[in-house]
This record gives sequence, C-alpha cells and structure tokens, in this order.
Amino acid sequence: MDRLGRYALLLALALAVWGLLAAVVGLRRQRPLAVESARTTAYALLAVVAAANGAMLAALLSDDFTLRYVAQNSSRATPTFFKVLALWSADDGSLLLWNLVLAGYLAAVAFRFRRYRPEALPGALAVMYAVAVFYLLMVSGPSEPFATLAAPPDGRGPTPLLQNHPLMAVHPPFLYLGFVGLTVPFAFAIAGLVSDGLSDRWVALTRRWTLAVWCFLTVGLLLGALWSYSVLGWGGYWAWDPVENAALLPWLVATALLHSVMLQERRGMLAVWNLSLAVGAFALATFGTFLTRGNVLLSVHTYATSAVGPMYLGFLVLVLAGGFGLIATRAWRLRAPGRIDAVLSREASFVGNNLLLLTLTFVVLLGTVFPLAVEATSGRQVTVGGPYFRRTTVPLLLLLLFLAGVGPLLPWRSGSAGRLTRRLRLPLGASAALVLALAAGGLRNPAAAAAFGLATFVGVANLAEIGAGLRVAVRTGSRRRPAALGALLRGRRRYGGLLVHVGLALAALAITASSTLARQTDLTLSRGATAGFAGYTLRYEGLRTLRQPQRTVLVTDVGVAKDGRDLGRMSPSLNLYPSASEPIGTPSIRTSPLRDLYASVVGVEQEGERATFRFFLNPGVTWLWVGGAVMVLGGLLAVWPTRRHPAAPRPAAPPARRREPAVVDR
Amino acid sequence: MADQAAASRPARAWARPAVGLAVVLLVALGALAAVAARGPAPASTPAERVHAIATGLRCPVCRDLSVADSPAPLAQQMRSQIAEGLAAGKSPEAIRLEFVAAYGESVLLVPARRGVGLVAWVAPALLLAGGVLAAVLAVRRWRARGAAPAASTPSAPGTSRADKVLLERALARFEEDPP
Amino acid sequence: MMTGGARTEAPPAGAAGGQGRPRRALLLGAVVAAVALAAWLLSTGLQRDPTAIRSPLLGRPAPDFALRTLDGDRTVRLGDLRGRVVVVNFWASWCAECRVEHPALSAAWNRFRDAGVMLVGVDFQDDHPSALAYLAGTGTGWPVVADPGSRTALAYGVYGIPETFVIGPDGRVTAKHVGPVTYDQLVREITRVLPEGSGRQPGAPAAGSP
Repeated sequence: MDRLGRYALLLALALAVWGLLAAVVGLRRQRPLAVESARTTAYALLAVVAAANGAMLAALLSDDFTLRYVAQNSSRATPTFFKVLALWSADDGSLLLWNLVLAGYLAAVAFRFRRYRPEALPGALAVMYAVAVFYLLMVSGPSEPFATLAAPPDGRGPTPLLQNHPLMAVHPPFLYLGFVGLTVPFAFAIAGLVSDGLSDRWVALTRRWTLAVWCFLTVGLLLGALWSYSVLGWGGYWAWDPVENAALLPWLVATALLHSVMLQERRGMLAVWNLSLAVGAFALATFGTFLTRGNVLLSVHTYATSAVGPMYLGFLVLVLAGGFGLIATRAWRLRAPGRIDAVLSREASFVGNNLLLLTLTFVVLLGTVFPLAVEATSGRQVTVGGPYFRRTTVPLLLLLLFLAGVGPLLPWRSGSAGRLTRRLRLPLGASAALVLALAAGGLRNPAAAAAFGLATFVGVANLAEIGAGLRVAVRTGSRRRPAALGALLRGRRRYGGLLVHVGLALAALAITASSTLARQTDLTLSRGATAGFAGYTLRYEGLRTLRQPQRTVLVTDVGVAKDGRDLGRMSPSLNLYPSASEPIGTPSIRTSPLRDLYASVVGVEQEGERATFRFFLNPGVTWLWVGGAVMVLGGLLAVWPTRRHPAAPRPAAPPARRREPAVVDR
Repeated sequence: MADQAAASRPARAWARPAVGLAVVLLVALGALAAVAARGPAPASTPAERVHAIATGLRCPVCRDLSVADSPAPLAQQMRSQIAEGLAAGKSPEAIRLEFVAAYGESVLLVPARRGVGLVAWVAPALLLAGGVLAAVLAVRRWRARGAAPAASTPSAPGTSRADKVLLERALARFEEDPP
Repeated sequence: MMTGGARTEAPPAGAAGGQGRPRRALLLGAVVAAVALAAWLLSTGLQRDPTAIRSPLLGRPAPDFALRTLDGDRTVRLGDLRGRVVVVNFWASWCAECRVEHPALSAAWNRFRDAGVMLVGVDFQDDHPSALAYLAGTGTGWPVVADPGSRTALAYGVYGIPETFVIGPDGRVTAKHVGPVTYDQLVREITRVLPEGSGRQPGAPAAGSP
C-alpha cells in the first residue's frame, strides 16, 4: 500500500512536470498540440493523485500500521467514520487531500475549456502546473505521508480534539476547495500579464471562478465557526486565532475582487487593480498554508510539528515576488484610463467597498504578524488577541455594512438623488423603527444599536430591491412559467448578489446580538442542586460514565426548566482520551430561533457528587448559520451558468425599476 | 404620466436634501464607529469587573483564549486571584502588572499603548486615512475624465429634455442586467 | 457573457514604454524590497518556538512564598532560605514528564544537599491523596509543599509543568527551565551560583542519574 502511494505520487509529479513543460512550450512556440497535451495531462494527473489518496484511505481503513501516518493518526478503536477523516486530520495526510483538490481544479479547467480555448489557457495551465509541482514535491519529499516503520500493535489514534465531532468531515475539505481554488484566478492573471493582453473573457472567467471559490470559502469559514462553537466549548465561534485570521484574509480580498471586477466589466477600468487582487488573494491563501503548517504562530490549528516551514516560505516569496513583480513591470501595458460619471453612483460605492475590504485585510494581517515583527526587531513578546481585532475591525465592518445597503440602491453611471431618496425611505424607516424599539426595550449600547439598525437597513433594502424587480416581472411577464421564477433566473447575477447581502444582514444581526447581549455564569452544583440563570432553572442531576473503545466519556446531566415547565435535559460531557493529559469538553447546546442555552462542564469532583459548569445564553446564534447559508445560496444563484451561445435575443424585458413601468418595448 | 411630471421638475431640487441626508447618515455612522472603537462600557458589579480584567489577559496554558473565556483550571485560579485583588482594593492596572511581572508582556491580550504597541493601535487609523485619501483622489480624477467627454458630446437637434431622460433611463436599465 | 467593454489591448510598444521605464524600475524595486522584508520577518518566526514564554523573572528577586508541606508538619518560607541556593520545582502527580525528571532531581539533591542547596517541590493543581501516593512511590526526600489556589505558581509565571527555577543566595532568580530538567543542567545552574568553598560534595553522583 505504501509503495502504491509513493509511486503514484512520483508519477503524479512527473505528470505535473510534463504538463508544465507542455504548457510552456505551447505558450512560447504557439504549438496547439503541446497545449492540448498539457490540457489532457490534467485528467491523468487527477486519476493518479486520486489513486494516491485512495491508497492512504485503504491503509487507514485496514489498520495498516506499517505506515507511520496511520500509526500516528488512527487506531483500531477509532470508529470507521473518523478513520476516513484521519486522511486530513494531520499535516501529511491533509497535504494529500490538498493535492487532490488542486488536481481536481486542473482537470476542471481542462474540461471547461475543452472546446473553447481562451488564449490565456496555456499560460494559466502552466502556472497551475507549477503550483502542482510545488505541492507534489512537498508531499513526495519532506512530508512523506507514506513513510513506513516497524508496525506497532496499535496506533496512537487521532488527536482527541479532531475526533470529537463529525464536522471535522467537512470543514477542511471546503476550506481547501476555497484556498486551492484561488489558484485559478491567479493563474489567469499571471497568464494575462505574461501575454500582455487581457481579453474580455478574462473578466468573465475570473468572476465566475472566483465566485464559485468564494462560495466554498464562505462555507469553510462558516463550518469552522460552527465547529468552534459546538466543539471547543468556550462559548464563542470566532477567536481571532492566527490561522482563523489567515483563512479570513483571502476571503476578504476575494470579496473585493468580486465587486471591483464588475467595474472592469462595465467601464473597462481597474484592470491592474483586479490583477493585483487576484495575485493577492492567492498569496494570502499561500500565507495561510505557511502559518498553518510552518508552526510559526501559536494556534489551536497548527499541526503539531513540521519541518517544512522554510519550503512554504520560499514558495510564498516566489508567489509574491513573481506575481507583484510581473504587475510592476508589465501591467502598465494593460492600463486603461478610468472614468466614472458621478460620485453618487454604484461605481463609487464599489470603490468604497474595495477600500474598506482592503483596509480590513491589512488591519487583520497587521494584527496577526505584529507579535512576530516585535519579537524579530526588539526581542519582546507581545500578544495581539480578540479585543484588538474587535476594536479595529468593528468600525470598518459597520461602514461596510452601510455600503452593502446603499450600494444596490445606487444606479450605475449616475442617478438622480431623488430616486435614491425614494428608495431609501423604506429601509431607513424599518431600521429606525427597530432601533427605537430596541432602545425602548432597554438597549443602551450605542454600537450595538448602530449595528442592529444597519443590519436591518441592509436586509430591508436588498429584500425590497429583489421584491421590486420580481413584482414588475410578474406584472409584465409571460404566462408560460412562473414569471417571478423566470425573472429570478434571468437576472440571477443581480438577485444572487442581493441575496448575499440579505444573508450578510442576517449574519450581522446574529453577530451583534451574540456579541453584545450574551450572558454567562460559572456554577458549581452538588448533585440534585438547582440554580437560576437567565430565567432558566438548572438542576444538576448526576454523572454517567460511558466507556467507548477509543475514550471514556463523563456525561453530566442537567435538567432545564423555565417558568416551572420542564424543558428537557442538557448533557455536556468531558471526554478522556488515553493520549491526552487533559479531558476534552463537549458542550451541550439547546438551540431555539432566538437564543441558545449553552452548557459546558468544566470539572467533576468526588465521583460526580459536585460538578462545575459554565452556562451561556447566546442570543441569535442560529441566525448566523441561517444568514451564512443564505449568503452561500445567493452566491450559488449568481454563479449558476447560463446556457451557452445566447445568440437569440432575450425573451422578455429585464426587470424595470420600482414604480416605473417598462418604457422600452423590446 | 408621473414619470414625465417628475422629469420636468428640476432634478436639482431633490439633490440637496438627498445629499444632505447621506452626509448626516455618514456622520452619524462615523460617530457610532468611533464609539465602537472606544471599547466596551466600564463594568459595575464585582463579577463584571473581574470579567473586564480577565478579558484583557491571555490564558497562558491555552491557545488564543482570554482568561475570561478559558475553562482551564489555571484560568479559573487567575480569575479568583483577580477577584481577591479587586476585593483588597487593588486597581485593575496593578493587578495586570502583577501578571505581567510573572508571565511577561505577552500575557496581556492586546499590546499596551506605550512604546512599540502604539504602532499596532495607530496603524489601522493611518491605513484607513491613507486609503480614503487615495480613493478620493482616484474618484475625483475619474469623475473629471468622465465629465469631459460627456460635455463634448453634442446632443442631436430636436431632442427634448424628456427624451434625453428617457434615453438615459433606458440605458441604465440595459446596463442593470448584462446578458 | 460578452459585455460592452472593449478588449484591453497593449498600446503600441514604444508609446508609454520609454517614459515609464524608470517608474517601473522603482515599482519593481519597491516590490522586491517589500517581499524581502516580509521574507525576513516570517523566517524569524520559523526559528522560534511559539509556545515558549520568556520569563521576566530572570535576574529579579524571586516571589516569596510560605507554604505548608504536603504532610502538613511544617511551613517552608522562601525568605528563611536567604543565603542558600534554592531550587524550586513545580510538578504534579498527573504529569508524565515530571516522572521523567524525577531521577535527575533526586541525584542533584543527593549531591548538593550537604552544600546547603535547598530543593523545594511545589505541587501544582493536584489532589492531596494522589500527590502523597506519588511521593511515597518515588521516594522523594526533599520538602514538597502544597500551593492552594496556585497563587505561588501564578506568581512564578508557571504555564507548563514541570518547571524548575534556580534562585541564588541573594534571592534572585538565576535560571528557569520549562520541561523535564536533566542532571547536567541542574549541576550547571547550581554550581554557577553556589558560593565558593561551601563544601560541595565532589565526585561520584548518585547511582541512577541520567
């Protein structure tokens, strides 16, 4: 099994080198045959890398402890589900998965352009193959997932924290789909720079792929927050951990790119800026890889120990120097004079959007590397943690939220301010009403009030836009199929974007509520004792011990009642793994639409006669997941491909503005 | 039609209140953002005061959690030491300094505002200011370029103002949803 | 999905190239400088252990403590030990690595106790019966004290046991070691601060020391 894996990886490396050479030859010598060879090699590469992953999976499932990776990350007692997950729960194995995803994207690009060949294709393939060569080198060389040793009788088992929850199944794969996917816009950007031309297709290509990748990244980040909330037991979902920040940075830049690319699409401007964003997003994703695997900063995510930091750093330097160096020397050829018609226009709001998102990116990046910089220059050790990030990013996020509400209301080019005022009336009214209601209900925190108001403003504004467009379509559309659905699909770019903003508003509401209105308490209860918290009556009923093959679980049962009505039982637990010196806690969460009651058990004494708990009341957390899902849905709607060759004119008029019947008759 | 009536009213009549409204909103927003940047409100009950200090300290045995958030036993003991210190009348700063004397500066969850830590606090504001400056300059340059050719475009003879508005609206709608 | 924008083409080669060249060189230089700075910065990060916290106590007076021994019969006060070299070792019965360093501590204790060096074990976040059982099982000869509420551990900045502090005769901390300490390390740190002619026991260390 290890031989199969090792040879597969070497073969994959050879294929990637071949693909790189073929693509470069096809580019330099204008040989279509070479390009075609480079394209089809991608399919072979995917098959071979999949075989390598399959070999590792088979080794894990068959408890083949002659493989060092299996011995360190799995054991006989590990449930099958978590044996599969062990493929990506540690550095070496997850690198195998990374290579699989990269090969998958290469094959996807090859497949997508099997008939239509943009002239940037050879260059883009070359860049993607070069990246694949690096990661295949890493997995064949320093990382060595298929290293063997004298088989121990049993494996050590996965890190306890990583086998506690099934979310481990999806969080890394989606993150990888996002990070690795940023290679595609990067590759096309470099190809455009190298060949001195950016066709119109570059914008369409970049936008579609970046949007799909953005959807994956959003899902990955949401799952990470969900994992932090449901598994780690500290009551929150975002700790401003360096690796969390490193995953957020490419997402911020990708969001900026998605907006500013529309300016290039409509006005032909900001070409160089968009190229920089594409390079920057990929560079930040590579930086994230470096942080996670290079053991540079303290984080709950860093893989235990790894000796490959310098190689990742070298690759990062190459990406930065190559990408931005090319931009510095060649981008002048691609510049086009920018022009806009008015300050009160959507173009200007996109400028604001990019400004805020990039400032956010730099602030978070600064905070993440500041301890490193201080120690390197002065030898002192400082920490930059949650409070810093909250204080610096919240104002920027509030401003960004404002733009997400106003931007969609602003017309392209220029519009009369009167129209804008009319469209602002409903959202402003709704948000003012909410703020007044909250103030009447006792909210005294001005920042929270602002955030609630802004989130409502954004949600109502975007919903109103969707509604207005659909309403006109219903009035003027054909009767053959539901007019609203038809209009939704025809205008899916716009409606998808509006839906993402609605999801953002929901998420903002949830984040504001859970950050400012949460309550917590520490309670030590004897068996049978009760205590009150946030209107609930909590009774510690007792301790149960569950013995499982891979761990012992101490389950504490807490009865929950409210106003005398019994609401059931919560069961936070402590998991004792043989390989961990301290127990890992699993919280118990009682979810309801408006609030979460969250319990985690911190300590158990005297055989369960006394237990120490920490209870939280987290308002609104459910809406974070709902809002995130809506954001992803909106992204999927926007990216859904149209039928190719739209030669025939569109069957009906596009949705018109509110209260203005369709004047132009097509 | 209402549209033509609205079109004949000079557009400038709406402009000032709308722009004024936008300015007011932005100013209010900026003020609130400044309030948010100031940090959380001062605490009152003893538990809240312990919490306020604990949220500013890093739990030494955890990864990335504050002493307030961490369930670790050492964090619990730190919290009870903070409570004892507050009950004995020590100031929050003195309590923080005690922990710094034992664990070093890195136990503070955010850099102190003196010395090198000041860079971390000032830099975001500078970044934003620089970005705003660059954006404003860029937008003004683009606006100037955009206005120039528009001014030089001759309007066809006989085009009424209403026709022009209709044409503009049609163009805008067309651009709203590109194919 | 073609839109109305035109293809962004390269202008004729000579047009802006000549005037732009110095500016481009400047830009390239800026990029290279920025990347080099970033590379240097991140490479320093590779060379340090992110879990290590440098102790601010080195060279400073050791925090005083007055703690009862585990068997309860006396109180060990750091102030009373001024003038002697004191080694303070934080440990616990649940700590596997503490068992690893126990022989080294024992050997150092045997070698230096007659020279006046004092070794004090401080029990960290432990329960009494387990700690007593550990002591009985390993035959620990030096005084071991309990630290209720971990106040002393917090004062010493303990974050990952075993941790060992060496305190000189003047009461200042001269060395701190995180993780299991070896016999050689103990000998080196103790002899560094031991006053001359205090009757160090020369020669053979106790049997079983690493």
